[in-house]
Amino acid sequence: MADMSTGKRSAGSVPVIELRHVDKHFGDLHVLRDINLSVSRGEVVVVIGPSGSGKSTMCRTINRLETIDSGEILIEGEPLPQEGRELVRMRAELGMVFQQFNLFSHMTILDNVTLGPREVLGVSKDEAEKRAMELLSRVGVAEQAHKVPAQLSGGQQQRAAIARSLAMRPKAMMFDEPTSALDPEMINEVLDVMVELARGGMTMVVVTHEMSFARRVADRVVFMADGAIVEEGSPDEFFDRPRTQRAREFLDSIKGH
Amino acid sequence: MGFSELLSTYGEKYLQGLLATWSMTAVSFVFVMVLAVLVTVARVSPYRPLRVVGDLYVQVFRNIPGVALLIIIAYALPELRIVLDWRTCVIVTTILLGSAFGSENFMSGINTIGVGQIEAARSLGLSFTQIIGKIVIPQALRTTVLPMTNLLIAVMLTTALGSQVPLNPQELTGVVSYINTRETGGILTFLISALCYVGTAFLISFAGNRLDKRVRILR
Repeated sequence: MADMSTGKRSAGSVPVIELRHVDKHFGDLHVLRDINLSVSRGEVVVVIGPSGSGKSTMCRTINRLETIDSGEILIEGEPLPQEGRELVRMRAELGMVFQQFNLFSHMTILDNVTLGPREVLGVSKDEAEKRAMELLSRVGVAEQAHKVPAQLSGGQQQRAAIARSLAMRPKAMMFDEPTSALDPEMINEVLDVMVELARGGMTMVVVTHEMSFARRVADRVVFMADGAIVEEGSPDEFFDRPRTQRAREFLDSIKGH
Repeated sequence: MGFSELLSTYGEKYLQGLLATWSMTAVSFVFVMVLAVLVTVARVSPYRPLRVVGDLYVQVFRNIPGVALLIIIAYALPELRIVLDWRTCVIVTTILLGSAFGSENFMSGINTIGVGQIEAARSLGLSFTQIIGKIVIPQALRTTVLPMTNLLIAVMLTTALGSQVPLNPQELTGVVSYINTRETGGILTFLISALCYVGTAFLISFAGNRLDKRVRILR
């Protein structure tokens, strides 16, 4: 049932993210079944699938917000540490953007963006703020820098959250349904930022329901159902010529959106 | 004995009592807050033994009557060659009781912090200590100003335990006992102390409300 091709990979280079035979259960529920995925430098992998298919869980295992039962996760060829300082260091190198933004509600937007660089990377206050303002301008929320998250719209909050991740200069970024909590008119402002990131060469794993984004930006689409990767391929292949019945059913079900 | 006579004879005694109550309350509350934070951090730490100790601390000191705890500290500890002066006994009792309740307040403040914010902090590579110091404690403190205001009032009222031991100077309730063993002031003697408590509590809650409005986190 599964097509396990590992996608494009430039010869000789180590994948930035690699999952090998990853399995996970929530009690009796088998949420990840023998997941194999490898993401090369600069590659944009879009993960789609029906809800409950395990795509968010997979995304969250990559920086160990979820533990796994068996298998291996490698970051630039090194096994993801289980805990302790090593894990903390590895997390700092992977960006994560959440569905609910998760900005720190007691801090200004500027402080949200400078916290990681100052606390984790030891960057000076001035330098961290200078870089934060550059990033906030890049995502279009520089005027909101001195407000607290609750004073911003959802779209602005999510763009600020992307800036917060970028401030750590991550090797790769994971997006866990970044537009699912947004009002329709705000989705594009967030997707635009992500498109620009992708064009800039960022390695990205994006869990999303935005098919137009997948078509436009993805190097590879991974389709998951019932905890397994059912099919993967280029966006054109996947959307125009899905090979599995499961994928065809899913694509039919979302047509007309 | 009338109101004016009481005040003219014992006015200074009441004033000393009020000041003693205030100073014991202030000293106690500083330690209550520090201990409440430490105990709560233990209760949410990743280390099970620390969590157990923290929970046990709260269960023990939240569930002992103040007088019983004072008796243990003042009369049982000397058996173990730990002899504290009377004022310290009262303050330690108040701190132990208050910090257990303070930790419960603080816990409820921590529970208002979305798990997503903690996950975001972990994703940035912040350590447990950094997450506690930069995200959890500041937010928990700012959302629990009003319960902590109540706690400060409760701490003040708990210092009335001082009337059970020979303090010098006596605090407000001790002053009442002192006067009532000498005069027939009756309820009036107590009323003056009560007014001091109520007046102080009023000031505390006024300040607490102001502070809450200033630091409350927009959500």
